[in-house]
Amino acid sequence: MTTPAQTSEPGRGAAFAGRVKALELQEYALAIVVVLLFVVGAILKPDTFPTVDNVRNMLTQASVVGVLAIGMTFVIATAGIDLSVGSIVAAAGVFGGILVGDNGTSTLLFIAGAVGFALLLGTVNATAIAYGRVVPFIATLAMFSIARGLALLLNDQLPVSLLDLNGGSFGNPRVFSLLWFGNGRVFGIPASVYVFIAIAIAGWIVLNRTRYGRYVVAVGGNREAARIAGVPVRRIIFSVYVLSGLLAGVATVLLCARLGSASPVSGNLYELDAIGAVVIGGTSLAGGRATIVGTFLGVLTFALIFSLMTQLNLSTEVQQVTKGLIVLGAVLLQRPEARY
Amino acid sequence: MTKVLEVRNLVKEFPGVKALQGVDLDVHAAEVHCLLGPNGAGKSTLIKCVSGAVEPTSGEILFLGEPLPHGDPAGSLKRGVATIYQELDLVPDLSVAESIFLAHEPRRWPLLDLDKMYRESSALLARLGHDSIPVRAKVGRLRPAAQQIVSIARALSGNVRLLIMDEPSAILDEAEISTLFDVVRRLTGEGVGVVYISHRLDEIRRIGDRVTVLADGRTTASGLPATTPTDQLVEFMVGRKVDQLYPDRPVGTDRVLLEVRDVKRLPAVRGVSLQVHAGEVVGLGGLVGSGRTELLHLIYGLDHPEEGEVMVEGKPLRSTPRHAISQGLGLAPEDRKSQALLLDWSTTKNVTITDLNRFSRVLLDVRKERERAREQLRALNTVPDDPDRVVRLLSGGNQQKVVLARWLLHECRVLLLDEPTRGVDIATKAEIYRIIADLAKSGFGVLVVSSELEELVHICTRILVMREGEIVAEVDGSDATERELLRHAVAPTDAPVLAEEVV
Repeated sequence: MTTPAQTSEPGRGAAFAGRVKALELQEYALAIVVVLLFVVGAILKPDTFPTVDNVRNMLTQASVVGVLAIGMTFVIATAGIDLSVGSIVAAAGVFGGILVGDNGTSTLLFIAGAVGFALLLGTVNATAIAYGRVVPFIATLAMFSIARGLALLLNDQLPVSLLDLNGGSFGNPRVFSLLWFGNGRVFGIPASVYVFIAIAIAGWIVLNRTRYGRYVVAVGGNREAARIAGVPVRRIIFSVYVLSGLLAGVATVLLCARLGSASPVSGNLYELDAIGAVVIGGTSLAGGRATIVGTFLGVLTFALIFSLMTQLNLSTEVQQVTKGLIVLGAVLLQRPEARY
Repeated sequence: MTKVLEVRNLVKEFPGVKALQGVDLDVHAAEVHCLLGPNGAGKSTLIKCVSGAVEPTSGEILFLGEPLPHGDPAGSLKRGVATIYQELDLVPDLSVAESIFLAHEPRRWPLLDLDKMYRESSALLARLGHDSIPVRAKVGRLRPAAQQIVSIARALSGNVRLLIMDEPSAILDEAEISTLFDVVRRLTGEGVGVVYISHRLDEIRRIGDRVTVLADGRTTASGLPATTPTDQLVEFMVGRKVDQLYPDRPVGTDRVLLEVRDVKRLPAVRGVSLQVHAGEVVGLGGLVGSGRTELLHLIYGLDHPEEGEVMVEGKPLRSTPRHAISQGLGLAPEDRKSQALLLDWSTTKNVTITDLNRFSRVLLDVRKERERAREQLRALNTVPDDPDRVVRLLSGGNQQKVVLARWLLHECRVLLLDEPTRGVDIATKAEIYRIIADLAKSGFGVLVVSSELEELVHICTRILVMREGEIVAEVDGSDATERELLRHAVAPTDAPVLAEEVV
């Protein structure tokens, strides 16, 4: 695992090296990356990159994947994975849209339907993994396919328009109407960004300052030891997939609100963006080490890189290759040998 | 006498740590040279320098008079240095023969020469006196002692001149250790030099020729005869006298804390009843595989009994760890690293994990958590008592104290200890015995599983001996002798300990 000095013979000099600090370092490093990316963008595209409009755009787009990434952080902290969140976003949106129907106008009904359906699909994942003992990768890969299939089946592969929901039009939607979550602003900042930040802060508190969060990380760090110490391991594993489903529902609402419709092909590969953000943030895929601050910065890093690449007229294909390379690089840096 | 190995003034610095600060060691051909020292003294680093796993900072390593290349495991192996590490590094799904020849399989290009592999494996095992081990069996199906012999055979599959063994006896019971010693004697008879690391002084007397003591990365005594009195060896190890290894034996009360009734789960546990009273330390002896650990797991709810029940103060347990904990049970499991600790977590978090309710309203009070953890660590004299220290970096003894601190914080009433002093140096052992005795005195009931008979004989109020899943004897602690316990553990009559039967 680590070098012999650390495993067997600590000695007295290691007093500082051996204290719990490793995480913060990576967080600082990533914060510097975020700042550097912004500076580079400002130098390369001084007219279009460091503008209020562009920053607002980046944050709005980041908030959907950001909400997914917070849920993913909890899942990965238990050494699990959730590949289904992108598909769940599509299925939940279409389901909510159909539930409201052609003539209905209730925003609340849409939100309840979308979040409820996402929660249901998440609970299916959770049950299969915690009680059916299916490996998370396989269970959520199955749901990846099931949810995408449902999204296409529910409305004959057609998107559902949500523009008629009460609360007005794209221009100036009423507060707390559906479209407001996508396009409304408070103090010039998009409403969806507030939602993302609120969820990130809540996620940080739960993970770092509650018994539940401690249990989540314990289960990922050493399942057997957690069980012997009295942690309800199965319930914890169940809960993180339910949570991931719930947050997929919230992400659905943000996405549909921005687009004014629910498309069965939306959310494609969002799970990879979320996993990528979590991993470059410093959360260990092996479990036992999780950081919400890192995930938050990871989401910002991705948002900055893609905004910049778009402005430099690089194609989405190039962006995909870049995304993959970044994630690969982050995982390579995380090898156990490089941990300290 | 030929010197197989000469280590001169060896220094190894890790960032921030001087693991070795000038170590000397001489090993002769055909001798068993024991390496003794507290955890963290530098024993492991020293042997890793010799085996090439670690590159020393300065100093000399001469092997058969020639300098050994530094940091070159393949080079050390080729010259005849073989190392057997504490944790057996065998792949359970490989056959015995495949394990012995792993990474240097005989080939008839490009295919494996299986016939030759099986033939030579049998020959090697015969050379060790264990040709009864089936070469085609999967290693995972062998008992630990047999696995160890496979490891030794693997070391011998090259032309070995120096065999390094790092606590080989840690996972073996008394009878299996005798088997191991027979093998070691055969090797020294062939002229092989053996470096033997162990915390158990009794073993050193039985198998060792000479002893070198390390402390704080230095050689404090070199080449002493193995007959050197214990007090003197301990003094070299800890730099001072340890006044008393074993505390006074606790006396039990009448109050029954833990009662186990006819608990059964085949094949390991075949119907066991026992009681643990407040104030008692009850020992559970027997060979590895006699069902002791499995019994503790049944009591603690990690496994469900097929029959029978477990009661704490008359209340039946629901057979889950959480319920057991809520009723006042605590378990310090056999393998601290894989079963008890979150190695990358701080000491604080490891101590408080069972008892987070205490610090949790909606949010955790992390300051109070740290303070309470530190109090417990201080009470057990954990070094360092730093509440933010990563547990991975603590020595075995201090890791065990972190586990004990967890249960003290939880204020449990019955402690189940599985091999509480395995891999713990002698000074810390004395402390752990003292802690166990103090706990019993303050009204705890303690149930201790141990393979070290000497330990059971000295610290227990009563000792129960298990054999093949049943309790076959109960001995009063003050009358018990190691010989008697071993006799109960092995066979119903006075039949001699047959090494082969144990493998």
